[in-house]
Amino acid sequence: MMKIFCLQENLKNALATAERIVGKNLNLPILNNLLLKTDKGRLKISSTNLEIGINYWVSGKIEKEGGITVPARILSSFISNLPNKKIELTVKEDVLYINCENFKAQIKGQDIKEYPIIPIIESPLNNQLDKEILKIGLSQVIGGVAISETRPEISGVLFDFNKNYLKLVGTDSFRLAEKTIFNKNDFQQPIIVPQKTIHEVIKILAEKNSENEKNKSLELFLAPGQIMFDFGNIQMISRLIDGQFPDYQQIIPNNFRASAILNKDEINQIIKVLSLFSGKISDIKFIVNSAKKTVNIFAQNREIGENEAQIEGEIEGKDMEVAYNWRYLLDGLNNISTKKVFWGFNDESLPSVLKPVGDEGYVYVVMPVKAV
Amino acid sequence: MTNEELWQAALGEIELNLSKANFITWFKNTGVLEKKDGFATISVPNGFSKEWLSNKYQKLILKSLRNLSPDIKNVDFVISTTLSSSQIIPSSPNISIQKYTEKQPQLENQAGFEEFKVNKDTNLNPKYTFDSFVVGSFNELAQAAAKAVVQNLGTLYNPLFIYGGVGLGKTHLLQAIGNEVIDQNKKRVKYTSSERFSSELIYSLREGKIDRFKEEYRKIDVLIIDDIQFLAGKEKTQEEFFHIFNALYQKNKQIILSSDRPPKAIATLEERLRSRFEGGMTADISYPDFETRLVIIKTKADEKKYCLPEDVLEYIATNIKKNIRELEGALNRVMAFVQINNTPPSIDDTAKILSSVIAPPRKLISYKNIIKAVSEFYDITTSDLTTKCRRREIVWPRQITMFLMREELKNSYPFIGEKLGGKDHTTVMYACEKLNKEIETNETVQQEINLIKERIYNTL
Repeated sequence: MMKIFCLQENLKNALATAERIVGKNLNLPILNNLLLKTDKGRLKISSTNLEIGINYWVSGKIEKEGGITVPARILSSFISNLPNKKIELTVKEDVLYINCENFKAQIKGQDIKEYPIIPIIESPLNNQLDKEILKIGLSQVIGGVAISETRPEISGVLFDFNKNYLKLVGTDSFRLAEKTIFNKNDFQQPIIVPQKTIHEVIKILAEKNSENEKNKSLELFLAPGQIMFDFGNIQMISRLIDGQFPDYQQIIPNNFRASAILNKDEINQIIKVLSLFSGKISDIKFIVNSAKKTVNIFAQNREIGENEAQIEGEIEGKDMEVAYNWRYLLDGLNNISTKKVFWGFNDESLPSVLKPVGDEGYVYVVMPVKAV
Repeated sequence: MTNEELWQAALGEIELNLSKANFITWFKNTGVLEKKDGFATISVPNGFSKEWLSNKYQKLILKSLRNLSPDIKNVDFVISTTLSSSQIIPSSPNISIQKYTEKQPQLENQAGFEEFKVNKDTNLNPKYTFDSFVVGSFNELAQAAAKAVVQNLGTLYNPLFIYGGVGLGKTHLLQAIGNEVIDQNKKRVKYTSSERFSSELIYSLREGKIDRFKEEYRKIDVLIIDDIQFLAGKEKTQEEFFHIFNALYQKNKQIILSSDRPPKAIATLEERLRSRFEGGMTADISYPDFETRLVIIKTKADEKKYCLPEDVLEYIATNIKKNIRELEGALNRVMAFVQINNTPPSIDDTAKILSSVIAPPRKLISYKNIIKAVSEFYDITTSDLTTKCRRREIVWPRQITMFLMREELKNSYPFIGEKLGGKDHTTVMYACEKLNKEIETNETVQQEINLIKERIYNTL
């Protein structure tokens, strides 16, 4: 019944995005499908895995209303291999007919009535967020979020909305990243968004498409236990994590036994090189020499050998030694793009802090490794 | 039929009408949240389920429910992220949405943020567990009740009221329950003292955040409050506590309380609270016997890797009878001695070390202290006690004074009679005998005497 025309490129992008959240569902096979349906002059493509749902509107010419659900992978792979020309989609008796240039295809599908209903959330938060800033902020905190679900409250990113700013926090209890975005917010309460959702949000924000050019801000909608991200022509709805995020502000130290301002690229390079020589627990040792204004970094692996490097910087405080897991350090430095990085050292029972010099909005806190 | 049983039966009928795939996907983690006035509210885990169930299966669900409970006229769906206490639908062998639970590559020496460890929500100390709780005849009832509660949250003994003297293990037991529940069932547990509860309440009232306070407490699955006797005399706190208690109790959420005395003996406790406390299970912890004390001391010595001779341990266990904390304190004192002098102590040494702990100096009091304490306690004047007045309100305190003077000061009967307004010595004898009998049979009288004694010795 349905009959529409659209451009291959637009359709391809929509299918690729929608398909990403489709999982291999053995219990309910229709979840492996995408829903295609005409909606107010556009084609709406929907997908869900029952935790996240996506609605993606594609512009086109609608001749007849209607819809169908078809297996996601087949449709997406097929369309992406077509030339960038006009595509004609027709639905007749649960079969999707695709015509493009000299390609003709039929894909068997199911009635739209069988497909789960993606909830509609109508209450906006009125906390508009700039897409670009949010994308950068989320990517700076998502890396440290706990992967395991044993502590559900930290398996997502905290959105701590305050009157004049938003704090994004991600942690796995060994390291923590906090990003502050200045924004006027009507809604002022904390919510925790699952990390899979955040990964998808970042990917959508990173898409270079006309919508993101046209519409620079993102709207959020909230319902009990659910959140919807409205990107313009894409809506993503996700569950929220129920629980209390730990009181993270307490752990960010303000005092340091020693502190250093180092050249970020230089220290990053040193850590990468030394990681080859690190021991079983991925540890590398930092030795701060306050008088000489140097930090010596040392790594040793009994089987391979050892390596030492030195870096100069503005150093204050007492001489000291502390060891870290180099992976956590590189993760943190990865998110710092300023020329210099502030490094606050503490002894092994307290966290250390990395901050970009000149950018007040980001803090990376990391617990050291206890000396062997 | 409980809500759970009702839902289980309804699901049985629904299952027959759906494909297995649909049944498992949409009805997993659902339950009956509430049934009131013909309305049944079904809790569903997420928005997708809510949409699907309300659009596609509402009629079927209503029909199945009505077959079991004809008073239900309408069905409503609510997203509730807390699971019902028992998973009614067993997970199918091919789990559709496999949770990504890859173990964090945890390196042994990597330290974690301290504040994340002691869960700030629950306030539980992980060192208090059932394993580290030594059981003896004096506390086996309390311990058995505690363990049973963990297996049957909210349904078996609710509330569980544990009382006993100081330093006998109440807090240990309460926290052990909390820790065990979190380990086993991952429920929401909150442990707090009634004093903290009270100050949080007052703070919330002052800041205007009282709704948030109430919400927070009503979301809990297991509420544990230590030293509930401190609620006595605090009306507003008791009232708030009463509402929270009811809200939780009606939802079959477990409540556990501890106190230094049974509910009956908590003065100025609202009657409705008292009756609720008594409506559950009350278990007391009395004083440990010698064997148990010895076991406890040995366990603690092992824990701290102290090596002490057997007779020293026995000496400590023999002489410190009433307080497990004191046992631990004595053990520490002896150990300190060992570390300073590098030799194991003999019995005589131990006796010396512990002399101040075992027999604390008795405060010297006179009959005047007794008279003053009793008259303050009963809110009468000291001269009332010495008059000829035979009114019950005066006679009873007078008899108590006589009893106490005899027991504490070992004064002679004639002396007591003389000091209390020229009463005959036989009057005093009668009073002492009567009180002795009362103490044996009447717990309230025991409590009164104890409280008065506390007054006497503590307000010097």
